[in-house]
Amino acid sequence: MNRLFRTLNKTALVKAAIAAVLVVIMVLIGSRNLQYFDPALIAYLIGTVFAVFGIAYRYSVWIQRPPTRLYWRRSMQFLFSRHFIPYFLRSIRLFFRNIMFQRFLAYRGRTRWIGHFLLATGCVLAFAITIPLTFGWIHFILKPGDDITYYTYVFGFEAGSFALGSTLAFIAFHGLVWCSVLVTAGVVIMMKRRLTNGGLIATQGFENDWLPLILLMAISLTGLGISYDYTFLGGKTYQFMAVTHAITVILFLVWLPFGKFFHIFQRLAQLGANLYKKEGSRRGMAVCPHTKKAFASQTHVDDLKKITRELDFDFSKEDGTSHLDLSPEGKRSALARAHFRARQESGHFFG
Amino acid sequence: MAKLPVAVDQLIKQYGPHKAYTPQAGFYGAHEPDKLVKTHCCYCGMQCGIQLKVKDNKVTGFEPWMEFPFNEGRLCPKGVQRYLQNNHPDRLLSSIQRVEGKGFEPVSWDRAMAKTVSEVKRIQEKYGRNAFAMLSGVSITNEKSYMVGKFARVALKTANLDYNGRLCMVSAGGGNKKAFGLDRSSNSWADLAHAEVIIVAGANISETFPTLTHYIWQARDNGAKLIVVDPRVIPLARTADLHLPVRPGGDSALFGAMLKILADNDWLDHDFINNYTSGFEEAIAAVKDYDLDWAEEQTGIPKEKIMAAARLWGKAKTSFLLHARGIEHHTKGVENVLSCINLVLATGRIGKPYCGYGTITGQGNGQGGREHGHKCDQLPGNRDITNPEHRKYIAGVWGIDEKEMPGKGLTAYEQIEAIHRGEIKGLISICFNPLVSLPNNNFVREALEKLEFYMCIDSFLSETARHADIVMAGSLHEEEEGTVTTAEGRVVKINEAVTPPGRARRDGEILMELAARLGVGDKFNYASSEAIFNELRIASRGGTADYYGITYKKIVDNMGIFWPCPSLDHPGTPRLWEDRKFKTPDGRAHFNPVPYRPASEVTDREYPVVLTTGRVVSQYLSGTSTRRIGKLVDQYPEPLLEIHPGLALQYGIKDRDLVRVETRRGQAEFPAQVVETIREDTVFIPYHWGGKHSANQLTIGNLDPISKIPEFKVCACRLTPLGEQVPDTMTETAYQSGL
Amino acid sequence: MPATDYNQEMAFFVDMQRCIGCHACEMACAECETNGQESMIHVNYVNRAESVQTTVQVCMHCEDPACANVCPADAIHKDDFGVVHSANTSRCIGCSNCVLACPFGVPKKMEEAELMMKCNMCYDRTSAGKKPMCATVCPSQALFYGTREEIERMRPDSVPVNSFKFGKQEVNTKVSIMMPKGTHQLIVE
Repeated sequence: MNRLFRTLNKTALVKAAIAAVLVVIMVLIGSRNLQYFDPALIAYLIGTVFAVFGIAYRYSVWIQRPPTRLYWRRSMQFLFSRHFIPYFLRSIRLFFRNIMFQRFLAYRGRTRWIGHFLLATGCVLAFAITIPLTFGWIHFILKPGDDITYYTYVFGFEAGSFALGSTLAFIAFHGLVWCSVLVTAGVVIMMKRRLTNGGLIATQGFENDWLPLILLMAISLTGLGISYDYTFLGGKTYQFMAVTHAITVILFLVWLPFGKFFHIFQRLAQLGANLYKKEGSRRGMAVCPHTKKAFASQTHVDDLKKITRELDFDFSKEDGTSHLDLSPEGKRSALARAHFRARQESGHFFG
Repeated sequence: MAKLPVAVDQLIKQYGPHKAYTPQAGFYGAHEPDKLVKTHCCYCGMQCGIQLKVKDNKVTGFEPWMEFPFNEGRLCPKGVQRYLQNNHPDRLLSSIQRVEGKGFEPVSWDRAMAKTVSEVKRIQEKYGRNAFAMLSGVSITNEKSYMVGKFARVALKTANLDYNGRLCMVSAGGGNKKAFGLDRSSNSWADLAHAEVIIVAGANISETFPTLTHYIWQARDNGAKLIVVDPRVIPLARTADLHLPVRPGGDSALFGAMLKILADNDWLDHDFINNYTSGFEEAIAAVKDYDLDWAEEQTGIPKEKIMAAARLWGKAKTSFLLHARGIEHHTKGVENVLSCINLVLATGRIGKPYCGYGTITGQGNGQGGREHGHKCDQLPGNRDITNPEHRKYIAGVWGIDEKEMPGKGLTAYEQIEAIHRGEIKGLISICFNPLVSLPNNNFVREALEKLEFYMCIDSFLSETARHADIVMAGSLHEEEEGTVTTAEGRVVKINEAVTPPGRARRDGEILMELAARLGVGDKFNYASSEAIFNELRIASRGGTADYYGITYKKIVDNMGIFWPCPSLDHPGTPRLWEDRKFKTPDGRAHFNPVPYRPASEVTDREYPVVLTTGRVVSQYLSGTSTRRIGKLVDQYPEPLLEIHPGLALQYGIKDRDLVRVETRRGQAEFPAQVVETIREDTVFIPYHWGGKHSANQLTIGNLDPISKIPEFKVCACRLTPLGEQVPDTMTETAYQSGL
Repeated sequence: MPATDYNQEMAFFVDMQRCIGCHACEMACAECETNGQESMIHVNYVNRAESVQTTVQVCMHCEDPACANVCPADAIHKDDFGVVHSANTSRCIGCSNCVLACPFGVPKKMEEAELMMKCNMCYDRTSAGKKPMCATVCPSQALFYGTREEIERMRPDSVPVNSFKFGKQEVNTKVSIMMPKGTHQLIVE
């Protein structure tokens, strides 16, 4: 236990604690001092707070690594520069394109993108519904004397109404059902890939590749089970459905900062990488001394020289240049030439 | 009427070439194929073993065949991509007929057959039997080669049958028959691995027979010295112990001078020369004046290098000499070959372990296809169509009257000339794309346009097939069972992986039905490919290329059998001449005097630069198949003009400048590739493309007097830079052979 | 869950001077199921104007991979067999740090897919006891996959070297390069 505490990252710990406290404060504010908090959701709330703590902790540890820290700093520096407006707009556009719609996955495979998009959209929508409910930020009431109109309250303020039995009501109250359907369809597509693609079969692991899919499937099915139960079974199996659903969701929340799902948060760095590339090429490209062609931004090459030094790699040469000044093709050619020379000097190319 | 029915662009749009790629996730079922079929690559003479993956009667991929002894899984890029020729969008799924102004339209088999037969009859009645000719190829199996030979003589009854081996290795065949009385590489490749000295003359092994490289490298690991004779620093030559950058056309001068050095230094095997050869004195007399100064002048090779090569060869205990098209594609191709054989015989290094000699056959069945009677002067078993005894034997096998058997006909290029003169009016071709592969192809096009009727059997609409009246949809390599004989003389089994798609049919079935409709169905009544092979075995029996002892079962059990194999209990003959019993009339190996003479067209003030042609690793022959495979096209998208910086400087040509190359026969434009890896007086263009990118618009149609091979490897040209830099790939569509 | 019939006796040996630049490895690499028709191996002319020398480069699978160190997303993982795997597809953010930091010039950035891919020595094949595609088809055996005993027997005057020096940095790898006898390190200047 002592060792665990010693290895804990203090900065990250502080940041994670702040994040968790902030969430609790927001819950208190949003639910008007728990006035509108649904006690039945307490387990979910605890899970979510824990997840926030974990995510903030891991994120903080993550961006302390030299390459990540540099990317983080550069992203901020480039974004908040005199090009703020175009870069900001670009980032927004890419946020929708690549984070919300994950369009880049289409280039890795069409069905793969469809599968991922379905399950990601299902998950995001489900969170958008459940988190405000869990936190008590949103609640619905029937006003006395009017038993056919539902009133929605957000952060304690009235924010609209709809008629009971209307299409809107149907859609709203079954929102999680739709999410489950999306997630299930997505999971089935992704599972089929993992069962039939030879390359995936060879490289996949249980914890990182199958467990997340199984967990999502379990959440969706148990969630659907609750709906099925009160729609068709009159609540006979409610207890069972509710408990299993809660268990799967809380497992998911607890695992979120540590397992595969953490990539949801890491993925945002892609926007930074894009900005870095854009601003880098604006500042000037590095030209490979071997191929005589531009291959990356000079900023990137220079930054990597620093990062590699921090990581105890020293590719610098006696003459002050660096092996990293070469493009990938230049590096391969340099190796081949060195090998050619060695063979030639030995007098034999073969043997 | 064999002009194009519509503009070529319209034909390309419909029939390609289009580039095929494997889908990103692989073809459906590639991961779990129904079966893996052990067969061979459809391309070069190495005939590497390969397993094709088959799902739902479609080839979806390959898996290396590790057990096949020649290549043990190794393949070149063409071999890796070969599976894409199947399941290809350009594939002809039914026979088609020419419709003036419209292009081609599908036609029923009945109509295609009836039309062909009526045209054969009409032309033969009107102009005589020999006015209807047939051209064949040797990328088809032994069974089909044999059947084509029989079909032309028995069904078409024409003397004019020849094949595209005529532009492949016939000079080697001619030389080998003169020297040894038999036409086969003398050794299996296994003998290469321990040879002390290896000469590779005019054979771009690393690009045209990549899988043979392993054997050469193995030999070098074992200490062999490698001598490469080539005007260019080919990949094989880059690390060679000696590279002799011969001026195109100088080969026999080089080998003549080397022979003189061997004699002068007594690096000879007198015992072998005296007891097993003839003609040594005459051969030496022919080269008596070929000293090093003379040789340097004729060959353009520094004399120290010639001396060094002769010394290495002369002093070696074991050796292997290999050659290919580089010395064979000449008007003195046979002489070049004989000058090589003289070096082998003078040192007596043949018929012993690790001592060998051979040509490397280019086409898939270049060896087997040249033995079973679809050459104009040949009958099965490498028999002679002018020899009365041979005629009688084969007439007996075929069940015809010997007198009915036509005599010797015209060779391939002579046939084209005869078509051009109006003597041949009708043509059937199979597996041959002369519009890309023959020299001076503007002349070939003119000839094709003069034909009254042209029927072509092919799987794709090749450049030549675009000129046909009827194209019958035939089969691919993997769609018909059979055998081929590899460049080392190993007879191997080709297995049917899938059946022909759509209404396409097996080539063998097409020929059988045509024969039946021509009234000789009883002579072409085969139940299977094996039945054809069994007839071939009998037909070859007693000939020099004796297959009698080879059966399908024996081939499969032994992963190939080397002919000659005269009896069922015979194990085959990987290494020839161990018994020193040569197949010449006197039983001896023959030296032949080879006085040097220049190429048929030499450079002059008007055309001051030597033009030579050749191949690239990603393409095979005229590209009918490989120009349809995306990655192979992309690897080398268009022909480039290789030129030395010294010569380029004279003309002010820079890398990627567009250059017009002109010869007395035509002109074409190519982007320059300025490289130090070629002789300064020579430019090089690869030939696999048709239309306006075709190098064979420029080459010369002069033939070797014996082998009748055209002189692809030397002619004179002039260069004009057009003052235009072109991007990395100038013409994305060069592979389509547009005009 | 992956099938692990990984034979650790087998090793990868490269000799670029045997390479004939035919690109068979590149075509075959695309057949490997882990990279779906993308080729991970590199074949390029060293300087075509001067020479036909080509070089062929597979991932050398470094003992301490620079690519994994510089990855901001922890996407590159070296397994217990010493195989450095292609980027974890869910983590890789396509920043190209690995592409530029690899001293051998191996990783490839798939621009549209925002993903780095690299050679994993045909994990689908090697983990099932087969040879990698490239080394299987290589007609010059510039790429050889087999046991150390085999290569020592076949190429008696060469020695496998798995240590490199790039500038001041020493890099040790799982894959070896065939060098003249007596060589211990390939120094790239």
